[in-house]
Amino acid sequence: MRSRGFGGFAAGALVAGAVLWSFATTDVELSRLLSAGPRIADFVGRMVPPDPTVMNEIVKGSAETLRIAILGSLGAVLLSVPLGILASETMVSPPIYRPVRTLLAFIRAIPLILVAMLMVGAVGLGPLPGIIAIAFHATGMLAKFYAEAIDGVTRAPIAALESAGAGPLARLRYAIWPQMAPVVARDTIFRFELNLRESLILGIVGAGGIGFYIQTYVRSFQYDKAASVTLAVIGLVVAIEAINITLQRRFC
Amino acid sequence: MSAAAQIGDLSFFHPGASLPALDHVSLMVPAGESTALLGPSGAGKTTLLALLDGRLRGWRGRVSVLGAPLDPDHPPARASRPDVGFIFQEFALVERSSVLRNVLNGRLGRMSPLRAVVGSPAPCDLEAARAAIADCGIADLAERRVDSLSGGQRQRVAIARCLAQEPRLILADEPVSNLDPARAVEILTLLTGAAHARGATVLFSSHQPDLARRFADRIVGMRDGRIAFDVAAGDLSDVATADLYRETEALPGIGLRAMT
Repeated sequence: MRSRGFGGFAAGALVAGAVLWSFATTDVELSRLLSAGPRIADFVGRMVPPDPTVMNEIVKGSAETLRIAILGSLGAVLLSVPLGILASETMVSPPIYRPVRTLLAFIRAIPLILVAMLMVGAVGLGPLPGIIAIAFHATGMLAKFYAEAIDGVTRAPIAALESAGAGPLARLRYAIWPQMAPVVARDTIFRFELNLRESLILGIVGAGGIGFYIQTYVRSFQYDKAASVTLAVIGLVVAIEAINITLQRRFC
Repeated sequence: MSAAAQIGDLSFFHPGASLPALDHVSLMVPAGESTALLGPSGAGKTTLLALLDGRLRGWRGRVSVLGAPLDPDHPPARASRPDVGFIFQEFALVERSSVLRNVLNGRLGRMSPLRAVVGSPAPCDLEAARAAIADCGIADLAERRVDSLSGGQRQRVAIARCLAQEPRLILADEPVSNLDPARAVEILTLLTGAAHARGATVLFSSHQPDLARRFADRIVGMRDGRIAFDVAAGDLSDVATADLYRETEALPGIGLRAMT
């Protein structure tokens, strides 16, 4: 009990120290916080009413965001199928799946916005760097999900097909795939929804999509237009969520 | 008399176990007959069947199945596996697939590797699957998904999958332990009858002496990983059966006998 009490005290001291260190070394001016209220009110005031004349830009930007999400997701699925198989205990041996899993964890650790900035530098402005960034970033998660879907199936039918003389790919197709298909459908839709959400902001670093217009309007102080685009983004997210729920009911 | 399986001085320990699952087992399974492995839970019946199916590694002894020796360190060649069919205690079916698809899965080892993965089944595979389904009396269920079937129907699908494989030796692990007595008799009638019609050898395990007597030509008693007896079905005595199922010696600290 005594050691546990000491552990609790040490953890508390550590947290307190971290908070104090952050306050002491960061320029947190209370006066700026206090004057923020009126400025936020002014900011919101200029957003209302949203300017409906940007409908064209909204449609154009949304369509591009959707295209980035669709093509980025397609790229992620194509990369995740082989990587998912290579990261699964059921299909390959430890010397293969361990390094593949480490690689996937490494990919997941790189923030999307960083990948997008690098890709803008590599291939230039527009939707292409966004598509590449989404495909790369989403593979880290999707391949892991696919591997877990493979490893999560009941083993007995796999053993039965092996006993009947079926090879590894035939076992994957007829014993593993029918069991994992609903999980794969659910995970892929979930990842597509995330891709769509994340591609909304890619425009901020020049990687295409509707985020580009929010950035442009905020920078040029056209807050009413920025508000319209933001509302459109929220509408898109809600719509995707609704479609997602419907599809999940259909598949699971 | 030729042997479907020949076992000499076979011993096997499950990984990490201190007691053997199979302890110096020697046994001959006669070809074309039906043999029952009889014994209480933990006797080693399932282990012996899985080993004959080529699924266990690291055993010691001599084992040959359908005339070909098994290698204790390597799985059998894929080409030879369809000759040995296995019926699993828990059916081992793909629940979300149709009955026909599950039965066709039994044909995968007989197809070319390419057709098994990407092709559609050839007419001969479909024919074998349909025939096995008809023999098992489930023709009207062929398009149904397995997860909508009862236990008895599932066992029929599992048997049909095994028959579609056209095995020369059928190994069945407690094929009726999940079924009620009437269903159990039906299933064993079906299994031994279909095997006999095809000239295949059957080796099935059971813990029910009356079923073993009724459906087997030979009965092999197993207990604690050893062969207790190996007799013609008509020669099985009640004394031998009672001895097979005698109470386990009380372990130190567990006073089972003292309590009764």
